[in-house]
Amino acid sequence: MNIVVAMKQIPDLQQIRIRNRQPVLDDVPLTFGNIDKNALEAAVQLKEAAGGQVIVLCAGSAELEDTVKEALAAGADEARLVICEGELESSQSARLIAAAVKQMEAVDLILFGEGSGDNYSSQVSSRVAQILGLPQVAYANNIQAEGGALRVTRSLEDCEEILELQLPAVVSVTADINEARIPSVTQILKAGRKPKETLDIGQLGIALPAAGVETLSNLAPETERKQVVVKTVADLVKALETEGFGGRG
Amino acid sequence: MDFTLTKEQLLIQKMARDFAQQAIKPVVEQIEKENAVPAEILQGLAELDLFGLAMPEQYGGANAGYESYVLAMEQIARVCTGPAMIISAHSLGLGAISNFGSDEQKAQYMPKSCKGEHIASFAFTEPGTGSDPKQLTTSAVKDGDYYVINGTKRFISNASYPGPLVLFAIESESGKPTAFIVDKLCPGYSVSQPWDKLGWHGGDLVDIYLKDVKVPAANVLGQAGDGYPILQYGIAYGKIGMNSVALGTTLAAYEEAVHYAKEKTHRGQPIAKFQAIQLKIAEIAMLYESSRWMAYRLGFLANKPKSYRDFAKEAALSKVVVGRNAMEAARHAMDIHGSYGLMNDYEIARIYRDAAMGPQVEGVLDMQKIIVAGDILFG
Repeated sequence: MNIVVAMKQIPDLQQIRIRNRQPVLDDVPLTFGNIDKNALEAAVQLKEAAGGQVIVLCAGSAELEDTVKEALAAGADEARLVICEGELESSQSARLIAAAVKQMEAVDLILFGEGSGDNYSSQVSSRVAQILGLPQVAYANNIQAEGGALRVTRSLEDCEEILELQLPAVVSVTADINEARIPSVTQILKAGRKPKETLDIGQLGIALPAAGVETLSNLAPETERKQVVVKTVADLVKALETEGFGGRG
Repeated sequence: MDFTLTKEQLLIQKMARDFAQQAIKPVVEQIEKENAVPAEILQGLAELDLFGLAMPEQYGGANAGYESYVLAMEQIARVCTGPAMIISAHSLGLGAISNFGSDEQKAQYMPKSCKGEHIASFAFTEPGTGSDPKQLTTSAVKDGDYYVINGTKRFISNASYPGPLVLFAIESESGKPTAFIVDKLCPGYSVSQPWDKLGWHGGDLVDIYLKDVKVPAANVLGQAGDGYPILQYGIAYGKIGMNSVALGTTLAAYEEAVHYAKEKTHRGQPIAKFQAIQLKIAEIAMLYESSRWMAYRLGFLANKPKSYRDFAKEAALSKVVVGRNAMEAARHAMDIHGSYGLMNDYEIARIYRDAAMGPQVEGVLDMQKIIVAGDILFG
């Protein structure tokens, strides 16, 4: 099975500092979002079970040439990188990814994380499926290959749905589908030697549309102190329980 | 001079940090109480190639270099010093075989050790000597194609795990210190109960008792009567791991201090707002940064030393700075915690005990200063 995993390069969120309510992104290393890594892990597990290849596909800045080593170390066999500078909005990312996939041969499955680590728009997978005319399943927390089809479990609010999906198809996965593997030293050192192809937008034969959505701000909401007044120990315990603090950890 | 870490080095650093956070952190309390590292942690470290990180690929190692070794070890020790101590002592013993062993010895002992199936040890110290080879009493008497070894070794790491032991004894024909490779757990080999150490719990130190242990003559490491260069190697290269453990401890103290300073309040505001605390945080940061680059540089030098003698001076110098800085950083972090830092509920209590270990193991600080001064003054 030939699997493409679309991954988005983002700043390492654990190393971002906030100054004057703005994120400081200078010198923050680049990485992939956690759910993208879950998608990659799902692809690698499918490959290990059913054979085939895993190709990681990314659209972003030139730093991708270095960042992608993280994905190659974690089990991807090769990388396709669409290099373009500047912020990409979801519709633009989807166009680039779909165009790159069209140039690949015999792609059976395109995997996404349910949302990227930074904006979590959750749009790119659906847009890509629509552009390519492929069926799509979202919120997958289990994927099994069965013959030429996939058996996908969707995790919904109050139930689980099991679907059979004919290939080729697009699937986006949730974080609880697996625990992404930690690559070994040997896998890390070998990552740089795996095949990497870089493309620019011109080579994809498309014109990038203008962004339709502009992100104005991306900050955690400010919350006021709740100022719950308690008069007895019993009141305090009840208030803590209501807030979900069940006692000493 | 480019101080930037390569992508591969950053990934190795991240790999170690992620494993330490995900797998080791949940069992730190268990390791502290039981003074033992669970087998599944050692298995996990082995699967990540941490037992052969700097060893040659030809013998099953990852050949990643000593800079990456320091980066990985720092992250492991940041969470728990026990597993880091095990790898450090193992890497010292295995490194001695890699540098001084014959092709046959390397082929026999390295592959399983690089995979973590065996864990190596390095045994010089005895009840009567920790640094002077002239005081060795362990004897190796030649008997045909074998040596018969008798003696006691003290404070030896990893001595309870199967694997190769690089052991120093007085060889009967030359009358001089000689290094031997001994298969641990062989007939005549026994160990004491682990010493109840102040810190670095999980990394056992035991006494080894050798009673008529028979070792093939082919297991002489290097040349008979010529154990001193191997000892010199061990004294120097052992410090790479020890530095990394001390560095990880310094980092842990740093993080705990910042975390506590931001959370603990006094008169309605975090204590981080008070200058006295800020001065201590700045001190800890400077201690960490100076240790960090000395430890990383030692890893860099270890890949291609000019000579073992020159490297020994660098290692001694680095150990004094990094070991002392760990204690000072832990002390400042303890002061920031105040009396809460005395409670074992708080991480800083364990970190403070762990910091005390570095200056005293693998050669006390004054011994290191003598090595440095000797090199500067007498060449």
